[in-house]
Amino acid sequence: MGALRRFEAGMEVPPVSKTLAQEHINLFEASGAHEGPSIFTDPETAQKMLGMGRTVASGRMTLSFAVETLRRFFGERIYNHTGMADLRFLRPTRAGDTVTVKGKVSSITPEANGSRVAVELTVQNQNGETTAVGGGSAIVPAGFLPPAE
Amino acid sequence: MDRRTESQGPERKMLDYERLEIGEPLPSYEYLLTQEMLEQYRQGVQDPDARFPTIAAKADIGAYHRKYEDAGSVNARCAYSCYNPPVAGKKIRVTAWIADKYVRREKPYIVTEAVSVDEDGRLIDRVITHELKRPREVGKKWER
Repeated sequence: MGALRRFEAGMEVPPVSKTLAQEHINLFEASGAHEGPSIFTDPETAQKMLGMGRTVASGRMTLSFAVETLRRFFGERIYNHTGMADLRFLRPTRAGDTVTVKGKVSSITPEANGSRVAVELTVQNQNGETTAVGGGSAIVPAGFLPPAE
Repeated sequence: MDRRTESQGPERKMLDYERLEIGEPLPSYEYLLTQEMLEQYRQGVQDPDARFPTIAAKADIGAYHRKYEDAGSVNARCAYSCYNPPVAGKKIRVTAWIADKYVRREKPYIVTEAVSVDEDGRLIDRVITHELKRPREVGKKWER
């Protein structure tokens, strides 16, 4: 699990970067039992379906990177049981790209079992282009939060 | 995104967007989560501590494509909630439905939702996906 930390609005989330090879994309698809050619694994299928002759990475790979970013930030005991991530995909990620997930705590809202700590997320590629935006959150026990005023 | 090339149910039909009903159930199904799948997922996302390979299962889209054929799609938005990490060697049961549909900028979207539960009844995750059902238009934009 990640180090214990106290959460406050405005906190920066440590970024996570990944450089993708086609092999990573293939493994991701294989892990979900997605066999056969697809826009992720086969340029011809990408051409036929998207009109572009290069494969793309599934948006769910980027989502997985966001989940990792948030899990590292909140710690797995918190995030793996109360966490979520929600991304809108703005442009594709392809083999050879390096994407970086960045975030900042945007709000802390009391809930029954603690407080929901919400994080704004941005994903950028190596060219500084934003590939996805969204957010995530987890329910953090009261002991990890600043005392109420 | 696209799942047309995968094994499908025998009673699939072409998507009729206008007739698609919000709340409409999609076929439930089960799969065995293997250690190999977990390892492939971890290698694919380069995260040895990853605990939710079920993200890659694309559970909601898998259920959708057991019922419908279409011209393909692009994942426009995806939300994922973690409840309990799945355990390799357990069967995972997927229950899915059409959560919404909408037209934005004259393009049709379908929202699918699924929850996964393991054979012991542990809630694993929930996924909600917004898919654009005109992938070539997005492809042209991306190719620029």
